[in-house]
Amino acid sequence: MTTTELDDATLVGRARDGDVRAYEQLVLRYQAPMFRLAVKMLNHRGDAEDVVQEVFLGAWRKLTQLQDDSAFVGWLYRSTANRCLNVIRARRPQVDVDLELAESPRTDGQPEHAAQVNGQLEALNAALQQLTPPQRVCWLLREVHGRSYDEIAEVVGVNPAAVRGRIARARAQLAEVMKPWR
Amino acid sequence: MAVNETGTDYELPCGRDLDALWDRLDSVDEHEATCPHCGTARESLLALRSATAELVAEPDPVPPGLVGRIMSAVRAEARRGQMLDLPTPEPGRVEVSEAAVAVVLRYAADSAGDVRARRCRVRTVGVASDGGGIVEVELTLAVRLGNVDGAETLARVRERVTTAAAARVGLTLAKLDLLVEDVYEDGE
Repeated sequence: MTTTELDDATLVGRARDGDVRAYEQLVLRYQAPMFRLAVKMLNHRGDAEDVVQEVFLGAWRKLTQLQDDSAFVGWLYRSTANRCLNVIRARRPQVDVDLELAESPRTDGQPEHAAQVNGQLEALNAALQQLTPPQRVCWLLREVHGRSYDEIAEVVGVNPAAVRGRIARARAQLAEVMKPWR
Repeated sequence: MAVNETGTDYELPCGRDLDALWDRLDSVDEHEATCPHCGTARESLLALRSATAELVAEPDPVPPGLVGRIMSAVRAEARRGQMLDLPTPEPGRVEVSEAAVAVVLRYAADSAGDVRARRCRVRTVGVASDGGGIVEVELTLAVRLGNVDGAETLARVRERVTTAAAARVGLTLAKLDLLVEDVYEDGE
């Protein structure tokens, strides 16, 4: 095969025919953004990995149901977002969470040092986990993944105005947390 | 975009909206330059913006082996399609899957230039005297935008695909339908 990067629609068309290598290219292309979304949603790398694996296996199985081949990415985002929300719903309430399950955020070096160097980033990561899951998914899709309001509306299944409202609330809440570091 | 779009509850004490402030964070107007509420809110939003940029730039390596695990699960249930008979001078049968034939035909179509093969349906309609299958193929294509002579391109695709079917697989093409369903631009 040539090394030219093929467009999504071409790869999806081939994958639907059973071309496993075409599908592999799609997995290579989109595993990183899906994993990132899942990690930020779930705050747990192991759970995120499970979600991404299910997303891509599920997408392969349902490839014949996809109407518009160029809509593949949106479809992946929707599947990832929904699976993450399901995982969160299935978790025990926060008060029951034991220390083993609550994987702490990455701590490289001493905490004080990390706080000085990455103060804002740490604060943002912590604040993200305080948002409601629907707010968090909307904010992440907009600010980290650069999706439009319309696309996010499709992904989460609410209208664009509601998406806008959720992101505004999320932003206000996050900005509030950013204050002490100024 | 409309600045004073309402619907959010984040009005500052001065009457300004947090969302509006966010939308034009880099262009401070007269009011914002002197208003303490706007000033504080802007600082928080700027801090949020730079922290968000850090978050986006933060390397977040995918666990090693994730692709491998996904692909082995996919391969385990790969759709091979129906099996097709190949000509053989030996007793017994040699079969090849429709999916494998499709890969060869798509590759042949790609080599014609200015097109990308997408879906490829292979259907057996009979058996030739040498025992090889006679097939009908439907091939869906995307054509490069700016491609000057479509008819010539398709003729080239037809020739490559027909040759590949006979020479590389050993199947006879009874019918080849080429469907152009899309265009693509260079670099896409």
